[in-house]
Amino acid sequence: MRSAPLLRLLATRVVLAALSLLVVSVVIFWCVEMLPGDTAQRMLGRDATPEALARLRAELGLDRPAAERYGLWLAATLWGDLGQSMVADRPVADWVAGRAANTLTLAGFALAIYIPLALALGLLSAAFRGRPLDQAISVAVLLGMCVPEFVTGLLLVSVFAITLDLFPPLALIDQAQDLGDLLHILFLPALTLAIAMTAYAVRMMRDNLIEVLESPYVRLATLKGLPRRQVLLRHALPNALGPAVNVTALNIAWLIGGIVVVETVFNFPGIGRLLIDAISVKDVPVVQAVALLLTALYILTNLLADIVVIVLNPRLRAGA
Amino acid sequence: MPMKLLPPLSRRGFLQTSAGAVAFGGATLSLPGIARAQSKVLRIASGEADSAAATMDPAKNLADPDSARIALAFERLVVLDPNFTPTPQLCESWETNETGDVWTFRLLRGVKFHDGSEMTAADVVFSYRRLVDPDVGSPAAASLAMLPMDGIEAVDDHTVRFRLTSPVVEFPQLIATRFTYIVKAGQSDDDLRTRGIGTGPYRVERFVPGEEPAVFVRHDGYRRPGLPKVDRVELRSIPDSAARIAALRAGQIDINWDLPRVGIEVLEDDPNVRVIRTRSPFVMTMSMWTDTPPFDDVRVRMAMKLVVDREAMLQLVLGGRGQLGNDNPVAPWVRYAIDAPIRERNIDEARRLLAAAGHGNGLDVELYTSDTVFGFVEMATVYQSMAAEAGINVKINRAPADDYWSNVWLKVPFMCSSWSGRPADDALSVAYLSEADWNETRWKNPEFDAAIFEARRTVDEAARTALYHKAQHLLRDEGGAIISMHPDAMAAVRSNISGWSLHPQQFSKDFSEVEIA
Repeated sequence: MRSAPLLRLLATRVVLAALSLLVVSVVIFWCVEMLPGDTAQRMLGRDATPEALARLRAELGLDRPAAERYGLWLAATLWGDLGQSMVADRPVADWVAGRAANTLTLAGFALAIYIPLALALGLLSAAFRGRPLDQAISVAVLLGMCVPEFVTGLLLVSVFAITLDLFPPLALIDQAQDLGDLLHILFLPALTLAIAMTAYAVRMMRDNLIEVLESPYVRLATLKGLPRRQVLLRHALPNALGPAVNVTALNIAWLIGGIVVVETVFNFPGIGRLLIDAISVKDVPVVQAVALLLTALYILTNLLADIVVIVLNPRLRAGA
Repeated sequence: MPMKLLPPLSRRGFLQTSAGAVAFGGATLSLPGIARAQSKVLRIASGEADSAAATMDPAKNLADPDSARIALAFERLVVLDPNFTPTPQLCESWETNETGDVWTFRLLRGVKFHDGSEMTAADVVFSYRRLVDPDVGSPAAASLAMLPMDGIEAVDDHTVRFRLTSPVVEFPQLIATRFTYIVKAGQSDDDLRTRGIGTGPYRVERFVPGEEPAVFVRHDGYRRPGLPKVDRVELRSIPDSAARIAALRAGQIDINWDLPRVGIEVLEDDPNVRVIRTRSPFVMTMSMWTDTPPFDDVRVRMAMKLVVDREAMLQLVLGGRGQLGNDNPVAPWVRYAIDAPIRERNIDEARRLLAAAGHGNGLDVELYTSDTVFGFVEMATVYQSMAAEAGINVKINRAPADDYWSNVWLKVPFMCSSWSGRPADDALSVAYLSEADWNETRWKNPEFDAAIFEARRTVDEAARTALYHKAQHLLRDEGGAIISMHPDAMAAVRSNISGWSLHPQQFSKDFSEVEIA
């Protein structure tokens, strides 16, 4: 059975994923519980009277012990009911889904910029290895990686939005009237994310390509008199792509964290800002839903990357 | 009581709604919103995060974006002008009896709610009863303690009477708060949270807590002819001040009323933006517990006040964008304020007082501060260096901003605090009456209390003023608040916007006359 290892991997991974989600939900609940002040206090602010606090606590069910509240939440979630936001008084599922759609749009755009950018820069720096172009690309991408996203974001805003007035500084997607508008509005945040992701992929691509380019079969192809472009694109590139897939999976996992920061800088109504808002008022059902969604995404991405690598690699595929 | 942890949502319902949202979420992004070219859209932004707790119920008006929504949709019987003098809004006039415990308000006629119905006394009675109704739980109830529910009555369709349990000579001023907006009678708490009906210049079109922007449209039946001149208002919040400034410069927002007081030179230099500055009685204070050593000695408290070079403090902390404070929560230009010279710095006198109090060899104090309010950390740092010259060693404890107001404020003997601008009586009583809930200086002075209570009963204006003056002198010379400055309120508008001004009370907003050129 050729697919046996794959199925076994899938089965173990699904069980492990479920366990991870459970652990994450406990940890998140506990962390939010540890934050000073409760939801009622955060909602009513500094002017809250004790009576108003007591009333709201009872209304929100905060007068029950933490373990009981967690149990109720878990039971409902297992039945597929993510519950009601304590603070906004609306269904969590709808809310998170709407924001997740926004975030996916942004993330998709960022990936659409990142993949060709990383490929092109990787190819160029391998092809011109050791030459000034390669060094310039290396310095640029390493800088992109080292500078935190919020700095990159503000830098892009100050250059492209304020000085050059080419793109809007805030990603207010409700102001978009058509697809062109949307891309225009999302360009700066997507570019910020892409810049931070590109470095790692470019470095990986470059090193792999150099290795491949020095291998005997490429030398043979070159000696055979094939044009340089064909050697690079047809023979070397496909063999250097494998590790880049893994890097992209890692990058998507990173994207999940980076998006929280970038959404805040650009006032983008996505899942990252929702998480921050929910934490600031300790809206536990919302925090849980977002955290579980992000965790699931993380697990899923890694699983997919593993599967792709297995499928691509005959040794692992046949193995046992 | 509904239990909010387990709402009635079926699994099928969840799957359908979430799948729908995922499927259509992307598509709705690109739907054409409104034909902006033809209609006048005003985009306004608050600097405070609009959390999921957002509301437009005047009885629950806490956050700054809430107060913007409420000011768009509702109006009050009485408002305060920039000098805090009460001015009629939805009433023609008011009158009181000899003692000041019965107040009668004559309402404007022909005022239309957003649904076209006419405002009557019943709506006013409904609105005020909600504020004092314990089941509603409005924070307004605390300051309206002398107003029982059955003391609010409609005399006829256009007359409302308030019977107080104790006289309040300044009742019209007392009811010009962030809560006392008139709502249409019969609305539920849920209605009022997201789709309240009022008489204000704009009616809510779309407001979902946690979603931006909140959208308001022109109220065609607005009582003032020719107004409003804007068709549509979009409110959002931009908590990051750099992002706010960038959005103003790029024209993504038209008005923002919450600017930092330093670092806005780029806005001042931008020809497309107009910066507006209004003096405000907003109070920045460092508060000492007057019942706890070493601050229980009035000589120590005076020395702590004498070390401040107020002019330098104002320059260093606020870049000069503010007014000098005089250790008095009533700013010098507010009605009833005392006319005392600003306290001068006097290190020798401070040293002498400290020595007399037994601290001749120096005094160690710990001052709590935080990023929670702009300028707190700078104020503490500047104070530290000024106090050092008199032998006062200030140790600064920088507490997290997140829970400053719940875990530090009122819990430590010396800390930075701030109070929004208020009329004189409110400013004196909110934190300085012996029994005040937020008595952050633990100031318990029967003479002070008596002066305030007496002033509230005194119909004769000169005598009342004298009593308020007495209270302020006591507080200024013996109290525990080091009030060195009143930061100006700062706002900015795009230069094509006119008809908007910044009120010194941040919650008191008015967008009815805004015009877009």
